[in-house]
Amino acid sequence: MSYRERIAWLSLSAMVLAYGSYFSLVARDPGPWEPWPHQHPLGLFALATIVRVLILGGGHLYLRFGFPLEERPPLDERDRTIEHRAINAAYYVLMAGTIVVGCFMPFNSGGWAIFNAAIFWIVAAEIVHYGVVVASYRGQTAS
Amino acid sequence: MTQGSISNRIRTLRFMNGEMSQAELGQRIGLTRQTIAAIEAGKYSPSLEAAFRIAQVFKVPLGEVFQWDANATSSKDGS
Repeated sequence: MSYRERIAWLSLSAMVLAYGSYFSLVARDPGPWEPWPHQHPLGLFALATIVRVLILGGGHLYLRFGFPLEERPPLDERDRTIEHRAINAAYYVLMAGTIVVGCFMPFNSGGWAIFNAAIFWIVAAEIVHYGVVVASYRGQTAS
Repeated sequence: MTQGSISNRIRTLRFMNGEMSQAELGQRIGLTRQTIAAIEAGKYSPSLEAAFRIAQVFKVPLGEVFQWDANATSSKDGS
């Protein structure tokens, strides 16, 4: 597995672990919460973000020492093609989320529901982004 | 599924050029070893510029490196 594929797996795992935990905790305690800026969901969200940063930081350090410099070449045309494809897929997820959160939810939800939905769609777009990167590297691996 | 596929003789040409490694070929044209492996396996179609660079390394015309088979069925994704 190449260095870039491992980085993509790391980013995907960090996103799923950190924000998967956040949304499972939020789902268990659906509120009602006090209005903004009440600390409960914000604290959980900050904790999830810190966990993600720690996983990413530790993973990057581990991979950097595990791979010599010659195994970490700069991006080439295939890497850029995969990245463009992933960003393209994530864009549509983000667009769908923007429509749901910005155009529909204000009329039948409010407060923390909108906050959590916005975070959910951003996380979903990022997961799609890294998922497409991983799938592309897997699909183009020479047998 | 689309009609037609690109095949290549990079493995053979590497062999004929002193068993040149994928890493060495990649280094000479600015691609990674993994990308050369994917091209060789027919899982990634290189840009026209990269294809010409590969042909230039082996000192052969482009048509001797890559061939187009119009009747073959390709299942490769559009990369």
